[in-house]
Amino acid sequence: MPAQTILQYPHPVLKKVCHTVTAIDEAIRGLIDDLIETMREGPGSVGVAAPQIGVTLRVCVIDVSGSRHGKDNNHGLLLMVNPEIVDRSGNAVMREGCMSVPDYTGDVERSTEVRVRFLDGADGSEREITASGFEAVAIQHEMDHLDGILFLDRIVSIKTGLFRRKNYK
Amino acid sequence: MTKDSVVHFALSVVGKDRPGIVAGTTGILYRLGCNIEDSSSTMLGGEFAMILIISHPKPFTKSRLLEEFRVLGEDMGLTVSARTMTPDEAEYRAPEGEICMLSVYGSDKPGIVYRVTKELAERSINITDLNTKLVGKKGEPVYVMMIEAALPEGISVDQVSAMLEEIRKELNVEISVRSITPVSL
Repeated sequence: MPAQTILQYPHPVLKKVCHTVTAIDEAIRGLIDDLIETMREGPGSVGVAAPQIGVTLRVCVIDVSGSRHGKDNNHGLLLMVNPEIVDRSGNAVMREGCMSVPDYTGDVERSTEVRVRFLDGADGSEREITASGFEAVAIQHEMDHLDGILFLDRIVSIKTGLFRRKNYK
Repeated sequence: MTKDSVVHFALSVVGKDRPGIVAGTTGILYRLGCNIEDSSSTMLGGEFAMILIISHPKPFTKSRLLEEFRVLGEDMGLTVSARTMTPDEAEYRAPEGEICMLSVYGSDKPGIVYRVTKELAERSINITDLNTKLVGKKGEPVYVMMIEAALPEGISVDQVSAMLEEIRKELNVEISVRSITPVSL
């Protein structure tokens, strides 16, 4: 399967809420292969969501095992169909960038640990994992794409938070 | 539109803070047909400061731009200045290398900004953002400085931290350095 071109904002698909996958058939398996190829092709890419290649279905692939931040704490290649976050805890800010929004980065607050339920694209089985650290950030970022949410929608501060505080007298 | 067909200016607008400075400034730019390519505006101690990189199709001059701002400047008490950028300067280059955040804080004393930034400059560490603030109690002011900087090839976050050790002791300030290089997802 060929790597696909990553769509960039303002492509309208990136702001769509994606449809639930009803069955993991040949077409979905093909989509997953395309997503994996596209992720492998992107320099340093750790995840791609279906809308980023123009498909409005709730499918994303994630693999942080090759990245500096995720190499010691990951579940390897994750093929997520209809992922849902069933539990989350902790908060941390990380500066994120996205292949669909080039040349801009911003500080985004994410849960530090997420419990995710999804259909495993590899065999169609229902699976639940608890991810933390960078893998948890990547999962939340890719899952946001499935709801048409970009990191731009989540930037917490344009300046160091310290200076945002008002005087309390 | 090719970049040779437009002229770029670095424009700054500073004045006592009040509502309407941004709208007044950008209204003029809009009517003139200027593009705001990059900008940052903030309030500092009751002053509002805007820095903008703007472009306009040629021919267009700095004197024309400043003339358009004359009335607004007088009405709102703003100091407006502009610099014509060379085509080379207008070509935006994101800083390369690891981005780090330095937190520097301690009892207020002269020289904190100078001593730290001099150390960075001597090693070609490029400051991309810097904020300082005087906080704390009246009799016991605390100086806080946040610096974002791009490290040149071959300098690590740990090395930056180590090179500031002398200043930590000498000025009796806390300095922490951490990587904030964006993750690409």
